[in-house]
Amino acid sequence: MGSNKEPNQGRKEFIKKGLLAGGGLLVASELIKWKPMIEAVKATQHTEVLPLVETVSTEDVVIRMQKELHEALKKPVEEIHWIMVIDQKKCVACDACTVGCSAENGLPPGVVYRPVIKEEIGTYPNVSRRFTPRPCMHCENPPCTQVCPIGATYKRPDGIVSIDYDKCLGCRYCLSACPYGARSFDWGEYHTENTPEVMPYELEPTFEYGDEKVRKGNKSPIGNARKCHFCIHRLQNGMLPTCVTTCIGRATYFGDLNNPNGLVASLIGSPRVKRLKEKLGTKPSVYYLT
Amino acid sequence: MKRLYFFIIGAFSLVGLWAIYYRLTEGLKMTALTSNVSWGLWVVFYIFFIGLSAGSFLLSTMVYVFNMKQYEKIGKVALLSAFFSLVAGLMFIFIDLGHPERFWHALVYRQPTSILSWEIHFYLIYMLIIVAELWFLLREDISRLVIKAKGFKKFVFKLVSIGYSIPDNSEKLERDRKQTHKWMKILGIIGIPTAIGVHAGTGSLFGVIVAKHMWNSGLTPILFLVSALVSGAALMLLLYALLVPKEKQDNTMLKSLGGLLILFIAVDLLIVAAKYLVGLYNYVPDERQVLLNMMFGERWYIFWVGQIMLGAIIPILLLSIKKGSSTLKALAGLSTILGIFCVRWNLVVPAYLESPMPGLETAFVHDRLLFEYTPNLFEWITSLGLISIVILLFSLALNSLPIMETKEGKEDNGETADGVQAI
Ligand code: SF4
Ligand code: SF4
Repeated sequence: MGSNKEPNQGRKEFIKKGLLAGGGLLVASELIKWKPMIEAVKATQHTEVLPLVETVSTEDVVIRMQKELHEALKKPVEEIHWIMVIDQKKCVACDACTVGCSAENGLPPGVVYRPVIKEEIGTYPNVSRRFTPRPCMHCENPPCTQVCPIGATYKRPDGIVSIDYDKCLGCRYCLSACPYGARSFDWGEYHTENTPEVMPYELEPTFEYGDEKVRKGNKSPIGNARKCHFCIHRLQNGMLPTCVTTCIGRATYFGDLNNPNGLVASLIGSPRVKRLKEKLGTKPSVYYLT
Repeated sequence: MKRLYFFIIGAFSLVGLWAIYYRLTEGLKMTALTSNVSWGLWVVFYIFFIGLSAGSFLLSTMVYVFNMKQYEKIGKVALLSAFFSLVAGLMFIFIDLGHPERFWHALVYRQPTSILSWEIHFYLIYMLIIVAELWFLLREDISRLVIKAKGFKKFVFKLVSIGYSIPDNSEKLERDRKQTHKWMKILGIIGIPTAIGVHAGTGSLFGVIVAKHMWNSGLTPILFLVSALVSGAALMLLLYALLVPKEKQDNTMLKSLGGLLILFIAVDLLIVAAKYLVGLYNYVPDERQVLLNMMFGERWYIFWVGQIMLGAIIPILLLSIKKGSSTLKALAGLSTILGIFCVRWNLVVPAYLESPMPGLETAFVHDRLLFEYTPNLFEWITSLGLISIVILLFSLALNSLPIMETKEGKEDNGETADGVQAI
């Protein structure tokens, strides 16, 4: 048995050595071949990092919008044009804006300022979904203010369409006139009615349009038309609208269209931009990136 | 009989008063309206009564402006029902407001771009014209009543006559009557464009709304106006056949009123056909879908049974029966009026039932955001109550004033009869 093994072992040894020697030779020859190339690369390499181009901001967009908001507020009001840009590719339909808005403005049941429309596109297996948050469009030619018999709803110089709660008759003509269904009526109901009683937090004041108001009895805003107002009361205090700050997808942008270097102005210079029902000539101040 | 009638209608009126009170204290949450169907039954009644008023008024001008003597006998009742219908319409719009206590805002703050703002002023001018016409027409009779009546009634009549007392010699009386005649004509001439403005304007309220494709058409105001004439003529037919005792009824009068009604219905049908067929023709869903839902949807009967059967076919059939009794004519009138109510419903409600943006109906779901509407019991009770109040007032006026001049007046005072002829 032993004599049988020997020649075998000898052969194995030989092959091992041969392979080692061959591999070594190969590596050495490769190294020799690459060396000048590595040297050449080393010679041209910079060690310092170039500074970023100044116009590209590294800030969070919310911080940037906040700064631009403060800047805009320094201008006279008629030189501002507030607009909102909503990136539909970023929206995840979490409804955080709807909820945030309802909490901010103390919205009663049946009143909603910013629902998120969820549509399904295509048929299986080729489907996708599209989400369209729908605040008030703050139209430049608002059909709703045109029809109000007493001018209780009107366009402010900064583009915001607002409602004077203490003037509004509650005739609901403007509700019919809005092509986007953006207006709701306050029917005077409470979320916690009959549970067994209205909870005190529903009787806390809200500050829409900068006025402190408690919803009680037949007092305004009960019996009035209500809608999104771009959180005027927050803007006045240098804060972004609630929906902008609660948007987890960073899909909602807000700012002054009249600032050419501002974020929103740069966003809408895009082939993705569209406005809803453009053919009606209402000229919405809410833009969508599709 | 009369007592029973007043008792019943009085009871209903009390219900109406309670409903108004309840509505004013509880707010609009008592209704089944939603933010997306923001106008409902009360607005339907509002445009119905404004139409009835404008229609009646325009018929009265046939007598006082165009001197069509054959309609003379309905002149006064036409004016009176124009007045009370207007009151009814304004009551409905009043209780439909979210803040009725602010109604005066509409007169203090103006908005020239708003049709509603213009309309409110039209209604007021129109009201003044009707009141002035009624006063001129009735002052002589009323001042006679002042002399005859006693106690509280005397006081009321005096109030209504606004200080006019019948002159003591026939010369002056003649002069006053001439004056009345002249003023009726002037007021009537001003009244015609006003009444057209009142109802075609009410139609424009809807016509200008670009958001509702079914309303947004130049035909809408015309449709409002013509259906106003239909309902006015129908009401006159009904009242004449009902209030004038059978033996005193003038058959040619009934006939010509019937003919007029058929004419108006025909024009109305023509306009409806034009508007709806054009709306249905193209596959653009905006208007087509609304019309399809209205005609073949869940509430198809409002169109086919109400608008077409009750509003057109039945009255035309009833009126074309030769030698038809006055009861049949009254029925024709009633059927038309019900039909016109359905027309009004279809002018308002169906346009709301389509979502303006696909997906909005499911984006945020709540009872008050539905695109559906069925008036609830409270809305119906309130409406019936309000209508009862107006019918009660109308009946009281008919009962105490010589409106249908074939009644008492003629016998006990020769001058009244002359007066009627002079006018
Ligand atoms: S979206 Fe509607 S409510 Fe908002 S401004 Fe335009 S018409 Fe008016
Ligand atoms: S509901 Fe108020 S804001 Fe709207 S049209 Fe009527 S009065 Fe004007």
